[in-house]
Amino acid sequence: MATKLIALLRKGWQTLGAIKTGVVLLITVVIVSAAGTLILQRPMTDPDEMSRAYSPQVLRLLDAVGLTNVFHAWWFVALLVLVSASIVAASVERFPNAWRYFSRPYRSTDESFRKALPGHKRIPIKDEESGLVAAERALHSLGFRPERVIGADRVALFAERNRVSEMAVYIVHASLLLIFLGGIVDGVWGWRGYISLERGQQVTQVPLKDGGTKALPFAIRCEGAGQENYKDGSPKRWWSKLAVMEGGREVQRKEIVVNDPLVYEGVRFYQSGYGSTGKVEQLLLTASSRENKGQLHDIALTMNTPVELDADTTVRLARFIPDYFVRDGEVYNRSERVENPAVQMFVESKKTGKSIEVWLPEIEGFAHNAESPYTFEAKDLQLGSFTGLQVSYEPGQWAVWAGCLLMGLGLATAFYLVHIRFWVVPVRDTHGQLMLWFGGTANKNREAFQHKFDAFAEKLEQELAKQSEVGSDACAQAHATTLAGD
Amino acid sequence: MARAKAEQQPATTGMTLVVLVGLGILFLLFMAFLNVVKSGNLLTESNLLYSALIFYAGAGALYLGFGVTATESYVKFASLATWAGLLANTAAIGHRWYAAGHPPFASIYEMLLSFVWTLAALTLIAEKKFGVKVIGTVTMPVAIVGVVLMQLLPSDVHPLVPALQSTWLHVHVTLAMLAYAACALSFALAMMFLIKDNMKTETFLAATSLFSVISYAAILCTRFEKWGGLSVIGWDEPNKSEMFVSRGIRLFVVIPDLGWLLLLVLLAAAAPLVLYAYGQQTKDQSILPTANRAVFVSILMQVMALIAFLLRTRSGAYPSLDAQGLFPTSLKASPFILSALVGSIFVSLLYLLLLWRREDLEKLLPSAQDLDRITYKTICLAFPLLTLMIAAGAYWANRTWGSYWNWDPKETWAAITWLVYAGYLHMRVTRGWRGRRAAYFAILGFGVVMFTFFGVTYLLPGLHAYA
Repeated sequence: MATKLIALLRKGWQTLGAIKTGVVLLITVVIVSAAGTLILQRPMTDPDEMSRAYSPQVLRLLDAVGLTNVFHAWWFVALLVLVSASIVAASVERFPNAWRYFSRPYRSTDESFRKALPGHKRIPIKDEESGLVAAERALHSLGFRPERVIGADRVALFAERNRVSEMAVYIVHASLLLIFLGGIVDGVWGWRGYISLERGQQVTQVPLKDGGTKALPFAIRCEGAGQENYKDGSPKRWWSKLAVMEGGREVQRKEIVVNDPLVYEGVRFYQSGYGSTGKVEQLLLTASSRENKGQLHDIALTMNTPVELDADTTVRLARFIPDYFVRDGEVYNRSERVENPAVQMFVESKKTGKSIEVWLPEIEGFAHNAESPYTFEAKDLQLGSFTGLQVSYEPGQWAVWAGCLLMGLGLATAFYLVHIRFWVVPVRDTHGQLMLWFGGTANKNREAFQHKFDAFAEKLEQELAKQSEVGSDACAQAHATTLAGD
Repeated sequence: MARAKAEQQPATTGMTLVVLVGLGILFLLFMAFLNVVKSGNLLTESNLLYSALIFYAGAGALYLGFGVTATESYVKFASLATWAGLLANTAAIGHRWYAAGHPPFASIYEMLLSFVWTLAALTLIAEKKFGVKVIGTVTMPVAIVGVVLMQLLPSDVHPLVPALQSTWLHVHVTLAMLAYAACALSFALAMMFLIKDNMKTETFLAATSLFSVISYAAILCTRFEKWGGLSVIGWDEPNKSEMFVSRGIRLFVVIPDLGWLLLLVLLAAAAPLVLYAYGQQTKDQSILPTANRAVFVSILMQVMALIAFLLRTRSGAYPSLDAQGLFPTSLKASPFILSALVGSIFVSLLYLLLLWRREDLEKLLPSAQDLDRITYKTICLAFPLLTLMIAAGAYWANRTWGSYWNWDPKETWAAITWLVYAGYLHMRVTRGWRGRRAAYFAILGFGVVMFTFFGVTYLLPGLHAYA
């Protein structure tokens, strides 16, 4: 029973690691995500538009299959997990072999290997040592560092470059898994929300995108926000001055702009919007007294704060309506845009306790402007503004960026680093003549390697020719000149 | 019949074409110069772009001439013209960079500017370094379509909205342009491979007809209106912008009867395909000449449709289904319909070139094995660029919106492109896919790239609204 189960698991593992499974999974991901871009998706599109685009039956079908929220459906996540598992299985299956290859490079030059290697040549030499020295010099000049491999009966040379290229595939796959890991961490522990703050306002709760709220262990406060425009009126820059408050103390302060967030304890605050609150911050008026003609006051009103006009009279701003209209004896507000604004004020007398309702503009039936001892003229209306902030917590993003970097390195290694190896060994041919056998391989870009191999052969011949000029009996001397030459 | 006629013509030797193209270039430059004298501005961007267009067109003609007549000297002049075009193109980019104060990657117009530049540069590299001399036959028409599109797209320098003011954006878009141009080159090389690999000419017939059919079907599926009209976006000439019904919703006007015409052309374009399919079914080779004749008819019809489209969009006012009254439109409002029409004609003409001059073309190409290898090498260049492009985009999105991956259509399609090329590399390395299958894969990859670049922008909604 147990052995059966193990066999089954083993089979499952092998299937998971097979290239066919990987390709089938990837094709599925491609088809599903393409469908996700062609079909309108739930969270982004509002329900009205969905019902306009599809008939009710179709919509019900799409909803039932989950195609209206592909990228957040459990089965899509499961599919991505399967892809990761497939990459893991494929890598684990193939890794030991590659690792053996990587950690113990094949240095020996036995006869069967020499026969099997496709790229090799032989050059006659006088004695073993001079041949090896010439080969060493030739390899050095090509930028290699040859090492002497001392075998049972002969000394050989081995030189290689960019061995890491053999592991490139695993680096790329590992980086992909790292990116997925970061994505999963963010999917599970991360959150995103949106807050809008007015100047002076501070919050500790963030309403989240997918419903619910998140309590922050600190408070965020807005100390000002603004917008700068280009000459043509399109927005150039939005900014907000933010302060982080912890235990009533300010611990961090930053002016953020789009593309430059504030980060505190891993929580990021991004500038994302700016607008008017539709509330009055300040109303500037000129008040002139009816009794003393020409006596003018410039006053600034804020909501519900009485301002003294003379010893007896005060004025108080009671209501601001951005877009008013009158119906059935009531004043209503139509929208939050400042299209047709009106303000209601009360002019109060301390002595008599009388309160007179004043409207600007004078709305008939409500305003008693004529009874007021002062007339008012509006100068300027300053509205409060809010700043919109995206708030996100993504503890996994570092894994994502590390994965991206690693993938860049991995791909560069995979495509542009070539593992080149050379073997050199003195052998005797069938006639007993001493020959220098040399061979080499590259794991990619064989044509370019052929040039390198030919360059090596040419260099080797030059070195050997130089040696014979110096004299056959002065091997040690030749070696000395080599060193001097270097 | 047509084939016979073409073969009777002696292969043009000597310098006739070079002289003709040279005269053409001189004439156009002279006309442009008159214009310059009149306006008094010499080095404006549109002048530079215009001269780039002239040189690219000259290069395209010479490459085609080289393809047809195999006259070696043409290619020298062709690459000379490409150099000149590249120079003007570089100057146009520099001018725009200077005028806008930021690298030219903020709108689809600016991106096309960079894309064409990269394509021309890569063409010269492929020609000099890898000896693929006729590559310009495929890439130059693409560059010409690109420059023509640029003349139509709104080219005003807009100040950057806050989200676009980031170095990462420039990194992202530069990488995208490099990657896409490399993909375009790999596509051209894969095509050359298929020619060299003795793929049957009639298979190309089927492929090119299919391309035309898909282009027309795509236009008709999205734009065909009841009673045979074709809806296009209204154009507001005083403001030089598309018309809108309300914020973000474009105003479509219906050009009557143009829908029927395009439908007719669709049928004409489908005819060679149907004949080919019939021939395959009945194993009857004798139907092929008829199919080739049908290609002729299809090209004539396509040219007719193009002319009708040009004439009807340039003048007249048309009713709309969404609003009362008559509204004008302009070519500028429908750059993608136009490029689909022009592209389809180009592809059909390339088929004719192949039909008539296949042997000469084959003589000029490197061996199939070499082409296969160079295709692979270009994809080895494109793939890391694609990867870095996606990573830079994600990093930028994270700095701007606080989220590195939103599954918006452009992102998703970039990921799909990446997966397709990843699939190509895996099949090639682990399964040893070479030759035909690899070439098909490279062609598929470029198709996905084009969809990501244009299709997503104009068909699917998302965050990449400005690109």
